[in-house]
Amino acid sequence: MAEGRAVAATAPKLRVAGLCKKFTDLEVLSQIGIDIADGEFISIVGPSGCGKTTFLRIVAGLEQASAGEVQIDGSPVTGPGIDRGFVFQSDNLLPWRTVLNNALIGPEVAGTASPQAKSRTLELLKLVGLAGFEQYFPRQLSGGMRQRVNLARALAVDPKILLMDEPFAALDAQTREIMQTELTRIWEQGRKTVLFVTHQIDEAVFLSDRVLVFARRPGRLREAINIALPRPRALGLKRTPDFVRYVDHIWSLIEEDVRQSVLHEGR
Amino acid sequence: MRQSRLGVSALSLVGGLLIWEGMSRLYVDNSLFLAAPSQIAFAIYKLAVSGDLARHVEISAAEFAIGYVIASVIGIAMGLVMAESERAKGILQPWISGLYATPTIALAPLFLLWLGIGIWSKVLVVITLVLFPVVINTEAGLRTTSIRLIEMLKSFGATRRQIFVKISLPSAAPFVLAGLKLGIGRGLIAVVVAELFGSRAGLGQLISQSADAFNMPNLFAAVVILATAGIAMTAGFTWLEKRLVPWTQD
Repeated sequence: MAEGRAVAATAPKLRVAGLCKKFTDLEVLSQIGIDIADGEFISIVGPSGCGKTTFLRIVAGLEQASAGEVQIDGSPVTGPGIDRGFVFQSDNLLPWRTVLNNALIGPEVAGTASPQAKSRTLELLKLVGLAGFEQYFPRQLSGGMRQRVNLARALAVDPKILLMDEPFAALDAQTREIMQTELTRIWEQGRKTVLFVTHQIDEAVFLSDRVLVFARRPGRLREAINIALPRPRALGLKRTPDFVRYVDHIWSLIEEDVRQSVLHEGR
Repeated sequence: MRQSRLGVSALSLVGGLLIWEGMSRLYVDNSLFLAAPSQIAFAIYKLAVSGDLARHVEISAAEFAIGYVIASVIGIAMGLVMAESERAKGILQPWISGLYATPTIALAPLFLLWLGIGIWSKVLVVITLVLFPVVINTEAGLRTTSIRLIEMLKSFGATRRQIFVKISLPSAAPFVLAGLKLGIGRGLIAVVVAELFGSRAGLGQLISQSADAFNMPNLFAAVVILATAGIAMTAGFTWLEKRLVPWTQD
């Protein structure tokens, strides 16, 4: 193993080592290193400009790292691929395709479209709560439903890792809470490895096994916090003292950063 | 809502025709200056019965159709090339911008000189007028393809070709259709004006011949037929848009 690390009992699903990203002179990410086990639900929180979305995009292969490496099951990531499914912040649905055909675009692009892929995708649409809406067009759906299609589309390629970039940010507060419980329900079915970027600390704690707290200038991993809350989780969990303690702790880690960015940069 | 709006539109049309009829019969009362709708209808009937109408319409329709199809094919192809290649855009853009703003219809007499009095001089005029909106819209449509949608497809490891076929083409479709729709009116103008400069038959020729003979009912008859053709084709396109690109509606 590189860098003299101890060999883990099980090899990590995702390994990030010495990851750096520079945009010209600006150092966006500095020396990110983390091992993520198979089936872990990981959230990344941090102030604006901490590079959490850039980090996710590098793991997705949508952007190149300036230094360091990302490995999935031991093989380095060189570009996008269907071993990862990306759930975008805006749903990015194709308006000319039905819900089903939107969800099927991954297998189609990968050349794995088949009757089996179709029936699996139909199952996924049922899982995300869209049974009966397969032939609808995106313009006929609400924001929450569109994000469900977004999720089903990423799952349709049966990725090893699900990458989610603030998928609920554009939803109203109530829809967002519902989608959080929906996501935990869906995740319990398959227990995929998930990397979930969010601004919302309570969302991160509620969903995750581990929360990675990023700091800014340059973006770096400040602390990784294990969330030892029982599963399956329901919304009531958010009112328990344990939950609130986690949220307060994470908030204390990023508060100064957020204050800096709000006061001095207007954002 | 929609029903009542259609009703109002129909009423407005009928009312307008009635006022026109009344004006020309009671106030102007001279078919040298203004033909009444009833006289125009009668003129169309007479032209149809004599077989003249079919002859004129056939010629004009052929000129329009040939020119329109050629312009559409070339226009879409040029738009594709310009969207794909910066160099092609650099070479073509100044000409297209320049010629689009130029009233190229003024070149019709020149085309007549080159290609003779037959239909091909008119076809060329139609091409020069229809081509530009099609090129410009196709190119714009392809270029405004959402980067987010492209990135979504890239996340699945899509190739350039897949991005083009699955994202760029369908998102450009509404623009291409809009360009083709704009081309209808311009193409009809091209046919008529080109025929005015010199032709043996066609609706434009019917107009100029009727004007020379101060036969206002026949002149209006040709205009009404052209207008009807324009309205019908535009309506056809609107219907087509609803079927082909329904996501741009409502």
